[in-house]
Amino acid sequence: MALGSPPVPRPEAPLMEVRGLSVAVQTASGPRPVLEGVSLTVAPRAVLGIIGESGSGKTVLSRALVNWIRPPLAVTAGTVRYGGEDLLALPEARMAALRGREIAYIGANPTSALDPTVPVGHQLVEKLCAVLPGTARRDARARVVATLDAVRIPSPAKRFEEYPFQFSGGMMQRALIVDALVSNPRLLIADNITQPLDVTVAAQILRLLRELQKEFATAVVFISSALGIVSEIADDVIVLDRGRVVEERPTGALLRSPEHAYTRELIAKVPRIWSGAARPPPPADTDVVLDVRDVERTYEVRDRSAIFATRRVRAVRGVSFTVRRGENFAIIGESGCGKSTLSRLLSCLEAPDRGQILFQGTDIATLGGRDLLALRRRFQLLLQDPYNAIAAHSAIGATIAEPLRIHGLVPRRHLRARVAEVMAEVGLAPALYDQLPAGLSAGQRQRVNIARALVLEPEMLILDETLSALDQVEQAKLLDLFERLQTRRGISYVYISHDLAMVRRVSARIAVMYLGRIVELSGNHALFARASHPYTRALLSAVPTVEDKPYPTATYLLEGEPPDPIDIPPGCSFRTRCPFAFGRCATDDPALLATGPDGVGRACHRDADDLPAVVPPAAGQGGGARQAEGAEAP
Amino acid sequence: MAFAFEFFLRRLSQGVVIVVLVAFVIFTLLRVVPGDPIRIILGPMTPASVLEETARALGLRDPILVQFGRFMGEVATGDLGRSFIRGLQGGSAGGSQDVAGYSPESRASVAGLIATALPYSLQLAGLGVAFALLVAFPIGIAAGLRAGRWPDRLGLYASSFFVSLPNIWVAVVLIFLLSAKAGLLPAIGYQGFAYTIIPAMVLAIELSPVMIRAISVAVAANLGEAYYDAGIVRGLSRRTMVARHVLRNAAVPLLNLFGAQMIGMLLGGLFVVEYIFSYPGIGMLTISAVFQRDFPVIQAVAILASGVLVAINMLVDFASTMIDRRLKF
Repeated sequence: MALGSPPVPRPEAPLMEVRGLSVAVQTASGPRPVLEGVSLTVAPRAVLGIIGESGSGKTVLSRALVNWIRPPLAVTAGTVRYGGEDLLALPEARMAALRGREIAYIGANPTSALDPTVPVGHQLVEKLCAVLPGTARRDARARVVATLDAVRIPSPAKRFEEYPFQFSGGMMQRALIVDALVSNPRLLIADNITQPLDVTVAAQILRLLRELQKEFATAVVFISSALGIVSEIADDVIVLDRGRVVEERPTGALLRSPEHAYTRELIAKVPRIWSGAARPPPPADTDVVLDVRDVERTYEVRDRSAIFATRRVRAVRGVSFTVRRGENFAIIGESGCGKSTLSRLLSCLEAPDRGQILFQGTDIATLGGRDLLALRRRFQLLLQDPYNAIAAHSAIGATIAEPLRIHGLVPRRHLRARVAEVMAEVGLAPALYDQLPAGLSAGQRQRVNIARALVLEPEMLILDETLSALDQVEQAKLLDLFERLQTRRGISYVYISHDLAMVRRVSARIAVMYLGRIVELSGNHALFARASHPYTRALLSAVPTVEDKPYPTATYLLEGEPPDPIDIPPGCSFRTRCPFAFGRCATDDPALLATGPDGVGRACHRDADDLPAVVPPAAGQGGGARQAEGAEAP
Repeated sequence: MAFAFEFFLRRLSQGVVIVVLVAFVIFTLLRVVPGDPIRIILGPMTPASVLEETARALGLRDPILVQFGRFMGEVATGDLGRSFIRGLQGGSAGGSQDVAGYSPESRASVAGLIATALPYSLQLAGLGVAFALLVAFPIGIAAGLRAGRWPDRLGLYASSFFVSLPNIWVAVVLIFLLSAKAGLLPAIGYQGFAYTIIPAMVLAIELSPVMIRAISVAVAANLGEAYYDAGIVRGLSRRTMVARHVLRNAAVPLLNLFGAQMIGMLLGGLFVVEYIFSYPGIGMLTISAVFQRDFPVIQAVAILASGVLVAINMLVDFASTMIDRRLKF
C-alpha cells in the first residue's frame, strides 16, 4: 500500500512503560480513585489489549497514556515513561510535539472527532501539514487521497471533499486510522474504536488495523470492552477491574486458562451463540396477531446539487411477515437497513406508503382518533434510550400512571394500587413511587419504561433496541422478566436489534434485513446453524465471540459498506458486496420465497447448497481464524 | 451553484410575499386610524368642497384594496408616492400654503427623500457595527477561551455595564465629554464624516453587550465539543484549532443572532440616535414624518425596513448553510 516510508529497525527496549499509575476524580466528598497502581509495558511492534467493563477506567487509562487527563480527573501517582522521559511531567509544548507525531490516538466516537463544517480530506491535509512541516499542500492532498484509497474508501477523490456527516461511522473510523498513521507513529492508542460500529464493519476495521500495524511496525494499545474483539487482535491482554490490573497474559493463554476470578467471570459473560445451551423458545400459537404485507416507506430529501430536485431514500422496500400470539419475533440487521423505520411503521407513528399492517385483522393505517387510541393500548413501543424517554420532572409513579389516565382505564382511587402492582412486577421498589427519576440507573429507567408500557396490559410489545444500552447482567434480568410476562399474559414480542447474541437467546423466528428488505426469514436454530443467505452468513461470521464459528471470517468477510439507500443497485441489492454473486444477480431482483411452512424463506438466486459447506462448530479447524494469530505469538 | 440558485429563488419569492403582506398591513392601518389624510395635506383652513374634490382626484375615496393595488403598482415602478408635507426643496411645506389648489408635484417624492437620507444612515450603521465588532470580538473571544477566569468575568462585567447604560444618557455624556469639553469631535447635525463618530459610538455601546455574550458563549461551547480535544490529540496546535475550527463553528450562531436580533436593535437604535444628534438619516426622516403624520413617508420606511430585514436574513441563512453544510435550507 502507498502508506508512508518503510519501517526502520528499532532496538527491543520497551516503547512505553507505565509504573504505578493512579488517577483520581475530584468529587464533592473528596477524591475517588479511578485507576490504582496500574503498571504495563508496551513492546515495540506489539499489540497490547486492555479489557474491562464499563466503569473499569479503560478510557481514563488510554487518555493518561497521551497525558490527556483533564479536571476533575487528576493523576495522583505514577509515571508514563516513553523514550526515556515521563510524559506526565513533560511541559505542554513538548507533549504537543509528540501527540499526533510519535503517539497517535483514535477514540470511540469517530463521527464527532472532526470539525463538522470542514470537508474530511481538508482536515486530514491540515493534520499532515502540521505534523510534517514543509509538505506542499498539493503533495499532501495527493497523499491523503492515495491513503484513503488504500484503506478502501470508495471514490476517494470525491470523498475527500465530503463532510464528516456524509461519512458513515465505519468510513469515518477508516479516515481517522489514516489520519493517525499518516505520520508513521511509533505507538497508536486505539480506545474502543469498534464500539459504535456494526459487526461487519468492525470486523473490516480490525482487519485493516492489523494489516497496517504489521506494515508500519507500529505498537498498538487496543482498548475494548468486548473480549471477542480484543482476542482477535491483541498479542497480550491486560484485564482491568475497577481501576486495577488483575491479570496480564498472552491472549491465547488468557482464554484457555484464566487465572483470576474476575477474568473467568468476564469470559463466562461473553454471550455464546453456538456453543451455549440455547433453550428453544416456547412454541407459538397458530393465531396470527400481526400481519405485515408488502410494506414500503420512502423519504424525500432535498438535493443540493440540482435545482428543485429531491432524492428518494427508500428506507423500507416491500417487507412482509407475520407474528403469532405469544411469539418472539426478531428483526436483525445493521444500521441503515431500515429496522428503525419499520419500528415506526409498526407502532403507527408513520403510515406506510404502500402495503398494509394488520393488527388482529384491522389495518392500522386506516385508524384515527378513538380507534387508534384504543389500538395503541394494545401494542406498545419500547425504545433504546432509557434517559430521554422519561420526563425528568415528573415522579416515577405519575409517569407510570399517565397512560392509565389518558386511556381512562382505572378509577382515580385505584390508580396508585394498580401502578404499585406493575412496579412490583417489573422489580421497582415501591418507595420509588413519589421520587423523581434523577438517581435511577439505566436499567431501572428501562424498568420504568417497561412498567409504563405494561400498565396498559398490551398484547404486543415492540422492542426497538430496548436492551442495547444495558450491560449483560441487567439485560439478562430484563429478558427473564419478559419471559415471565409472556408465560403469564401471552404477550407477543417483536425484538428489533443488532445484537445477535440476544436474538439467539430469546427469539423463535428471525428476519434478517438488508437495505430495507428481508433477505432471510428463518427459525432460530436453522438461522444460526444453517444460514442460507450469504448476508446472514457474513453477519454471523463477523460476530465477535470467544467460541469457534461455523462461518469462517476469511470466507465471508464483506468488503465496503451497504450502498446508499438513495442509489440502490438494480438486481439483487446485496450483490455489490456478495462474494457469491453471479450474472443473474445483476439483473434479477430475488424475491423472498417462502419455502417452509412457517413463512420461512430466503431471497437469493444461489442454491443454499452452492454456498460453502458450514463448518460444524465442534470441528473447529476452519472456524479458528481468530486464534491463528495471537495465541501462538512469542 | 445549483444550490445557491435554488436557495435565492426560493427565499426571494418567500421574501416578496412577506414584504407585500407587511406593506398591506401598514397601508391599511394608516388609513383606518382616525384623521383624514387630506386634512393634513391641505391644512385646517381649506373649505370642505375643495377637500372632497382633491381627495377624489388623489384617489383617497376609493376602497382600500383599490388604493393598495394602485400603490403597489407604483412601488413596482420605483415610485413610493409623494410626501404630504415636505416640499420639493425638502423643507416642511405645511398645509395651508396651498389653499388655492393642491398639486402633488409640489411635494417631494418619498423615494427621493429616502435616497437622500439612506446613505447617511448606512454610514452610521456601518460604523456603529464596526465599532461594536472591534470591542466585542477581542473581549468575547478572550472570555470564551478562558471560561470561568478573569477574561470571562471581564466580558460579563463589560457587557452588564454597557447593557445598563441608556443610550440617551450615553449620547448626552459623550457629547459633553468629547465635543463640548474636549472639542475633539463635532456632534450635532452633519457636515462631514467626523459627525458620524460620536453617534456610532453610542450605537456600538448599545450593540456590543449582546455580541460579547453571544461570542463568548459560542466560543466556549465549541471548546467543549469533542472535535476540539480530538484535534489537539491528533497533533494540531491550540492556535490552529481556535483560528481554523472554533471560530468557524462559532460563526453560525453569531450570524443567526445578527440576522434575528441585531438588525432590529440596530434599526431601533438608529431612530433614537439620529434624533438625538439631529443626524439627517432615515431615522430622523421617519421621526419627523411621524410627528407630522406624513403617512407616505412612514409607510415607505416601514416597507423598506421589512425588505431590509428579509434580505439580511436571507444572506445570513445563506452564509450559515455555506459554513455548516448540515443545515437544511
